Amino acid sequence: MISLTSFLNKKTIIFFAGLLLLFGCATGKEATKENLPGMGEQFLIAVLPMENLSGTAVPLREIRGALIEGLKARGIHVLQDDTLEKFMAKHRIRYTGGIDKITAREFKDEINCQGVLITSLELYNDTNPPKIALTSRLVSTGDNPVILWIDGIGLAGDESPGILGLGLIEDPKMLQRKALNYLLDSLRESLSGQKESKGLEVKRKFRPKISYRSPLMEGKREYTVAVVPFFNKSDRKYGAEIMSLHFVRHLKEFEGFDVIEPGLVRQQFLTLRIIMDQGVSLADAQAIFSMLNVDLVVTGQVLDYQDYQGSFGKPKVDFTAEVIERKSREVVWSSTSYNQGDDGVFFFDWGKVNTAYGMAHQMVRSIGKLMAK
Amino acid sequence: MKKLFGPLKILFFLVPLLLSACATTDIYRDPNMDFGAIQTIAVMPFLNLTRDNIAGERVRDVFINKLLSTGAVYVLPIGEVARGIARAEIQNPAAPSQEEVVKLSGLIKAQAVVTGVVKEYGEVRSGTTSANIISISLQIMEGTTGKVVWTASTTKGGISIWDRLLGGGGRPMNDITDKAIDDLINKLFK
Repeated sequence: MISLTSFLNKKTIIFFAGLLLLFGCATGKEATKENLPGMGEQFLIAVLPMENLSGTAVPLREIRGALIEGLKARGIHVLQDDTLEKFMAKHRIRYTGGIDKITAREFKDEINCQGVLITSLELYNDTNPPKIALTSRLVSTGDNPVILWIDGIGLAGDESPGILGLGLIEDPKMLQRKALNYLLDSLRESLSGQKESKGLEVKRKFRPKISYRSPLMEGKREYTVAVVPFFNKSDRKYGAEIMSLHFVRHLKEFEGFDVIEPGLVRQQFLTLRIIMDQGVSLADAQAIFSMLNVDLVVTGQVLDYQDYQGSFGKPKVDFTAEVIERKSREVVWSSTSYNQGDDGVFFFDWGKVNTAYGMAHQMVRSIGKLMAK
Repeated sequence: MKKLFGPLKILFFLVPLLLSACATTDIYRDPNMDFGAIQTIAVMPFLNLTRDNIAGERVRDVFINKLLSTGAVYVLPIGEVARGIARAEIQNPAAPSQEEVVKLSGLIKAQAVVTGVVKEYGEVRSGTTSANIISISLQIMEGTTGKVVWTASTTKGGISIWDRLLGGGGRPMNDITDKAIDDLINKLFK
């Protein structure tokens, strides 16, 4: 009898251990499937209508059309426009700058779409020299939407004029094509599983002018990050949204940070009815920590985000960033960054940055670098 | 000869003495206050007396970051301070009363509250010459009593003789702001 009991006990242990192991395997498989759904195989993407953060009238349909054509040319399957329109009308989706959990689930369940491409146009200027700035990200669908890929580019027609101005781009369409090609190639590389060999070099002049990094922030730990809306005190419309996107993009570049899809953050803000007066209070931060299960909340203020028209002028970017940590409920990073396009430029505009996007890109990346140290 | 050197010697020692007596300081420091006990500070929105609408916020942000980067004190997030101001129902956050400071400190658990005034921020002109200038004054109030324990002011930038001779428009506004805040922080930790 005793031997039978011990035999049964052994069997039970093996049975439960087996079950546990199976569960472990199942979760692992599911997570991979969820996060990287069929990369390289049949991967259907829904291209959401572009979000216009430029504050000006822009031929969005035309640019989106070119983006879809580019995707198809690279062998990426794109969801038919009429199907997408019907889906958006059915679910009353008006916000196209991100997706929430419910929408992501519906995308997967209803139209079996594996990814949603969200593109924000941050600058569009067709006067000579033309300028364009775009940020695009691919978000997975299903129960746990995650950012699979994010990249962006800011270009100006007079960025590299070359000898006798041979490198000047005067046609806005040509510049648009160049920007889209960069984004599409980057996306294709990511989808095909090619390892991104992006250098994360930043010029010294773009480092934050004042910065504080708390000893509570551990360099080797992986943090889940929510970038909450910045405060816009600049004259640029949507300056805060643009800066938030820069942080999402650049923090995602570092292995130590897992950035939450901004659409999820926005949804939680609406659900919790958080109205920020001047910044994120500790009570707001606590609510975000628990609802989104994140370790860090990134916020800040945009004081200047200026672009210029024509050939003469210089862009200006001035912002502060603040990071609050979950466990300590303290500010673990705080910095002030400001730059102008001609900083450190002495001869023939050599080294000049012509778009605020180009500058903010380096400034935010340098913050990410210092935070990830 | 001896008679002539006598009064000169006296004058030589007397003048520096007199000059040092004339020297004034723009700092007030409560001698009974233990500044080492202050660990958490709340920085209130600065009063802006300039034409630039966000000068107060610009200077406040720089001050907060500089103060944090010293590592000597912890500065509460501005969102938390704003929440405290709303909860304490402070009518004029740039110039709170003694009672309001005590109430706020208790709510947000700050040992001291900093208030400030930005008096000048931007370009000044004199004839054909222009340059950037900043003028700030700060005060620290103790959280438990609401008493002013430290005040200081500084002015940086302005038109120098070199600006008059060579032009150039002076230093950029951000650089001058940094210098002014550094000066104030040096005065605080002196």
